Amino acid sequence: MKQLLKKILLIDLIKGLLITLRTIFTQPVTIRYPKQKREIAPGFRGRHALVRDPETGKERCVACLRCARVCPSQCIYIGYKEDETSGRRVLTKYEIEAFRCVYCGYCVEVCPVNAIVLTEFYEYAAYDKEENYFTKEKLLQNWDEFLSLYKHQEYINKFWYLRGIERIRLPYEKRFPTPIRIKKEG
Amino acid sequence: MKGYVLEQIEPSKFVLQMGPHHPATHGVLKLFLELEGERVARCRPEVGYLHRGIEKLAETKTYPQVVPLTDRLDYIASMINNVGYCVAVERLLGIEPPPRAKFLRTMVCELSRISNHLLWLATHALDIGAMTVFLYCFREREQILWFLEEICGARLTFSYPRIGGVRIDVEEKTLEKIDRFIDGFFQKIDEYEGLLTENRIWIARTRGVGVINPEDAIAYGLTGPSLRGSGINYDVRKHFPYDAYSEVDFEVPVGKHGDTYDRYLCRVQEMRQSAKIVKQCIQKMPEGSILAENAIELDLPPSGKKKLHPEGWSTGAFISFLKEKEPLLPEGEIYSAVEGAKGELGFFIISDGSGRPYRVRIRVPSFIHISAIPKLAEGQFLADVVAIIGTLDIVMGEADK
Repeated sequence: MKQLLKKILLIDLIKGLLITLRTIFTQPVTIRYPKQKREIAPGFRGRHALVRDPETGKERCVACLRCARVCPSQCIYIGYKEDETSGRRVLTKYEIEAFRCVYCGYCVEVCPVNAIVLTEFYEYAAYDKEENYFTKEKLLQNWDEFLSLYKHQEYINKFWYLRGIERIRLPYEKRFPTPIRIKKEG
Repeated sequence: MKGYVLEQIEPSKFVLQMGPHHPATHGVLKLFLELEGERVARCRPEVGYLHRGIEKLAETKTYPQVVPLTDRLDYIASMINNVGYCVAVERLLGIEPPPRAKFLRTMVCELSRISNHLLWLATHALDIGAMTVFLYCFREREQILWFLEEICGARLTFSYPRIGGVRIDVEEKTLEKIDRFIDGFFQKIDEYEGLLTENRIWIARTRGVGVINPEDAIAYGLTGPSLRGSGINYDVRKHFPYDAYSEVDFEVPVGKHGDTYDRYLCRVQEMRQSAKIVKQCIQKMPEGSILAENAIELDLPPSGKKKLHPEGWSTGAFISFLKEKEPLLPEGEIYSAVEGAKGELGFFIISDGSGRPYRVRIRVPSFIHISAIPKLAEGQFLADVVAIIGTLDIVMGEADK
């Protein structure tokens, strides 16, 4: 009897309609994307960049090839020559094929000198395929572009520092978090 | 009228090809449906449109490099795939992750499971015709994805766990945020249930549709909520605990009739249980390291062996290292299963000691669930086929591998 009364009085439907009615008085959760942008969490794995060292103004990479070796999709191509006098490796080619990258962040994690980074920049869809084939110059340019849009004073990627892992397991440069200070013009 | 013999007209069969681009097939599933009127006489699913050869690809990669591949199996709850693979390799190599890593993994897995069930509920309701639930579910799912982005920097393809622990620790403020979200989440589930559970249209579309009895469910190899909807209490988390599941308290919701409605109730209850697990994980979260001491390095070969080659590990050095025939890692084989969002997700791995898996076989629940579609759809209306595909929670990325 009670069931029948419930059915005739449309209780179940009214219950649902009341829920939808309640949401009329709440704030919308959507944002109007191109004008309004969502805040991106620090450490978001976006477009690649080679860190420009604030002291030397050049890339930090020492051509140890660890990133190329750990890369699951093998999209990093590195060329180097050895300096005759000092015996150090000099980077001649550093290319990333962004279309093949799976954005796992392994390269950032294994890099012993914090040279490569997946920045929090994510709007880089292009009409031209060449634009997302990153050469060394393009990667450095990505870094400058990212910093010019970055709001804070200091930048440190969380995959450089790796919270929670014993320091002894990490390469020397990664043990002590040294943020990059950003000099803003004007 | 004598002398006239009316010919018996056979009901003509109509073959309908549903998919692979049908929005209700949740990906690229194709169904050959033989219809008698509006009833399904025979149904033949066709899979393979999204085959990428993940199992074969895994053979060419080192153990840590396979983790991003497993992201692409069930891309809605990829955290569980990552954890499943890592647990399998850990069991194979004898690595025990530290307690904090275990709790973190359990937490992110359950968050992932909630987000999967939310997406399932959203699309399933949308297929059947309830639009509002779709929008409400995506509201909460977005928040969960935001937490996962804060934890590991990606929204769908996480690659967060690593063999022997997790890659990066979670900040305290993120845990607090998740805790606050879970407090309000129970009320949100009540909201979805208020819209659906008693709704007469929902009941008419789901009750008695796609019924499978317990014996058949086992015979077809169903697992996860699809099996529990038929009344069989089987959950890998309870029966073969991994990570921190033995230390948290939760129940396994079980259905009765084995129809679409019961499977719906099961999954909604499971969301509540998952939220409870997340809450317990945050409360019990121990301090300490997140990586086991004997965990293998991301870039194999392990660092201890590097001293053998002072000139560094170029490709040539690696090849010469392999020629020495000294096993890099323990040899052996293992089958290890975790409770995926869809069902039992198993990894069978053979290690030949070279640092790369000799063979990886993945037991994916979606593929096995697809084989049950003909059984469930037999004699049902064409419109209910959509509900049946939805109720099994199929993701083609997982089914086709």
